[in-house]
Amino acid sequence: MKRYTARRIAWAGVVALLILTITFVLLELAPDSQLARVQFRAAASGESAEAAADAYARRRGLDGPLWERYLEYLANLASGDWGWSDTRSQPVAEAILTALPYSLMYTVPAVLVSTTLGIAIGLYSAFNQYTKADYAATFVAFFGVSIPNFWFGIVLLLLFAVYLGWVPVLFDAELARTRTFSLANARQLALPVFVLATSAIASTMRYARAEALEYVRAAFVKTARAKGAHEWRVLTRHVLRPTLVPLSTILVGDLLGVVLSASYLVEVVFGIPGLGRLSLEAIRRQDTALVLGTTLVPVFVAVIGNLLQDLAYAVLDPRIEYGDRR
Amino acid sequence: MPSGSDPAAAGPSGLARRSRRSFLTLLGLGGSTSLAGCNAPAGGSSATDGPATGDGSAPERPDYVEGTATGAQTLNFLSVDDTPSANRIELALDGAYAITPEQDVFPLWADISTDEGRVYTVELRENLEWGAGYGRMTAEDWVYMITEVFQADPNWAGFPNPGDWRRGGDPIPVEKTGTRSFEIRLPSVDPAFPLRPVMWGAFCMPKGLIERYRPDRDQEGLQQDEDVQTLAYAGNLGPYSFERWDRGSAFVAVRNDDYYLREVEDVPEEWREAPYFDSYTYEVVPEESSRISALRSGELTATDVPETRVEQLEGLDDVDVRVFPQAYMTALIYNQRANGAFYEALRKPAVRRALAYAVDKRSIVDDVLRGYATVAHTFQPTFSTWYADDEVTEYGVGDTYSHERAREGLAANLGSTPYRYDGDRVVDEAGEQVTLDLVFAQGSQAVETTAQVVAQEYDAIGLDVELSGKQYGAIVEQHLYNSWQSDGDPPWGAGPYNGGPRDGSVSQEPWDLVLGITFNTYPRTPSAIRGFTVERGGINFYGYVPETDFGPLFEAATSTVDEDARRETFEEIFGALSAEQPFNFLNMGVEIVGYDSAVAGPEEEFGYTWDRNTWRLNRQ
Repeated sequence: MKRYTARRIAWAGVVALLILTITFVLLELAPDSQLARVQFRAAASGESAEAAADAYARRRGLDGPLWERYLEYLANLASGDWGWSDTRSQPVAEAILTALPYSLMYTVPAVLVSTTLGIAIGLYSAFNQYTKADYAATFVAFFGVSIPNFWFGIVLLLLFAVYLGWVPVLFDAELARTRTFSLANARQLALPVFVLATSAIASTMRYARAEALEYVRAAFVKTARAKGAHEWRVLTRHVLRPTLVPLSTILVGDLLGVVLSASYLVEVVFGIPGLGRLSLEAIRRQDTALVLGTTLVPVFVAVIGNLLQDLAYAVLDPRIEYGDRR
Repeated sequence: MPSGSDPAAAGPSGLARRSRRSFLTLLGLGGSTSLAGCNAPAGGSSATDGPATGDGSAPERPDYVEGTATGAQTLNFLSVDDTPSANRIELALDGAYAITPEQDVFPLWADISTDEGRVYTVELRENLEWGAGYGRMTAEDWVYMITEVFQADPNWAGFPNPGDWRRGGDPIPVEKTGTRSFEIRLPSVDPAFPLRPVMWGAFCMPKGLIERYRPDRDQEGLQQDEDVQTLAYAGNLGPYSFERWDRGSAFVAVRNDDYYLREVEDVPEEWREAPYFDSYTYEVVPEESSRISALRSGELTATDVPETRVEQLEGLDDVDVRVFPQAYMTALIYNQRANGAFYEALRKPAVRRALAYAVDKRSIVDDVLRGYATVAHTFQPTFSTWYADDEVTEYGVGDTYSHERAREGLAANLGSTPYRYDGDRVVDEAGEQVTLDLVFAQGSQAVETTAQVVAQEYDAIGLDVELSGKQYGAIVEQHLYNSWQSDGDPPWGAGPYNGGPRDGSVSQEPWDLVLGITFNTYPRTPSAIRGFTVERGGINFYGYVPETDFGPLFEAATSTVDEDARRETFEEIFGALSAEQPFNFLNMGVEIVGYDSAVAGPEEEFGYTWDRNTWRLNRQ
């Protein structure tokens, strides 16, 4: 197991380096809109476009050969320096560490809620297949999957913030930072959590239902029932546990999906200065150091998340083991 | 930006030949501002400022919260090339002086004066204090800043506008003439110099701060300096003081109790009490709908409003939508370089005039832009001092919008080109239908719809148009940049947008029409558009070779202080441009801002933000 884990972690390093290199080169090749604007403005006002481009390169640290800048970046990274964000005027590590808590404030509750409720509703639906409750749960699931987060967020803001005034429209980052566990912060996070949980709950619920259905009428479940096991015990010990093995594979995917894709939209709509917006802005403004930094975070989550998921198999299913080769 | 005064964007113009020491003349200006509804009651605070406390302490003032789509990138003004950053810095640093809508200089830190338009004297106020222990602002600070940073070669600080402080490649001589005064000695007469964004709105840093980084040309060190990052050196130099900057979220500045303008007597009364808010916050709200919702819920005091959403705000008691004229023009640009599909025709002014008949400008303004723009006919807005109705030829409105006249014009002038009419369609030498490639900038529904309208209009006169939307950066790189593609060296080159004569210098990708690239028309200093109008102009990416010799006309307009002579020359220039139609002048944009209806101060005129420090909230 140790050897397997070490090998996976080493492989993660290789993957990260590969992704960083590709990202670095792609950023260099992509047309830089801000540079284009700076040059256009200079030329349009009778100034030298070349001088404007040189000054821009100087300000953005782009005034050297690509390979030299890349090697310098890697050397700095190796020493723990993630670089300086030119579009935020702060160190990249600080930018990420500042943004991360804002993302966690709504993704953690959303993932917890969606996972717990999703599995619970899925199991309930499986145990009550083709009942009204099952149909209702299925409707909720399809609604959550189908409705676009972006649109849903805007509508909820209009309803609950503008018309009813129950929650604020603007996200107060200062409040979130200084009074994280306050009612006021909970109020402003309610809608983002709800929107995110609604979309995530659906897939978890459908998977949980489908997986649980495989076991509801399994021989060992019938045996447990025949031996007088209580329904709760049947549910939690005999159905939930085997269901969790395949379900755990989608949990990591869900988490990634939530953090990487859904969070972009949710953070834009609700104005939350989290990781999603940070990386979106970094890409839009072609802030190389910040793009690379924000790329490393999901790479880390994906690689380590998948590793933890594989290790979880062995814990959840005793038949699986990662024997070290001799 | 609702309150963003971007001198660089608004650009230079008209003559400000002023007698020396003009501070006191501005007291008259204060009177007119008062009539406009911005008068401060004698004694300072009033009910409109918020309730005065009974114990004699400072009155409570409201907070101003402005919603913006993007945040600042830096607080180092030497690195600023974006409006959001400039707006935030302006809260803490007033800059040298402001320009009123009447194009008068309004001294803030300094006054500028000249006798004959060549040597300008800048005189600083005596009560300007840096923060962070840098002492008093003196002429020494300015001269050091100008010579060691703005004019530095190499440009070690990455100053975005190094050309501002040079003429013909040489630095403009600047000399200290007193503790608080210095002279700028231009090599030739330039009556519009005060209106150019050179000294206008210019910032300065203490010499002691710059000196730490100048010897090693340490741009990175300066950029990351704590005093620069927090504007700690700003002292009493602005209406607000830096409070905090939550990147990607909010920039908060609080009222500066030591603001230098409170101690001066040569400004109108309301300036001495300014600002009328306890704090000014820029709140970053990326999503347009959320910004509008926050304005409606009262969480924002002001935010930009796109023309498509004005309707939603009409009729609301708490929101007031105001429309401000702008100097940005949208044009349909013709490729007259040799890689276009129709360039031989587009090089002929008569053909361009014929095409101008075909597009209904009024319909674009009214139907596509919902009335939030004005029709353009030349390279100046109609509100410009330099715009003369009787000199400008109009196309695409009223009787001059006519497909029939467009067809007649094309049929009569395609003769010497490879194109002709075959029935009601325009064909090339091989008898194939001519299809024009219209590239438009993505991201704006109005631009895309305008492109579709143009395609329909051209179809009606026998020209097919294929539309392709691209990102701004891609358009610039693939279509606007051009370089010499023929044998040998180019006979001349004027930068990446004009790599040489139009037969040999072409863009990477072919194109025929471009839409969505807006041009600043510089109504204050219209000579700045020279580069658009001469063959060797640095921005002439479309390969325009004028029939009128614009070069000498611009020389004449910029080298005299005779206001009438300048006006006459500029009128001739803008008249000739409207007749030659280097591109189809479509419309001039406006800025639409939604305010809390209690906000008093913003006037619906060009350059309206110059006195934003005197705006207030008039709650009933």
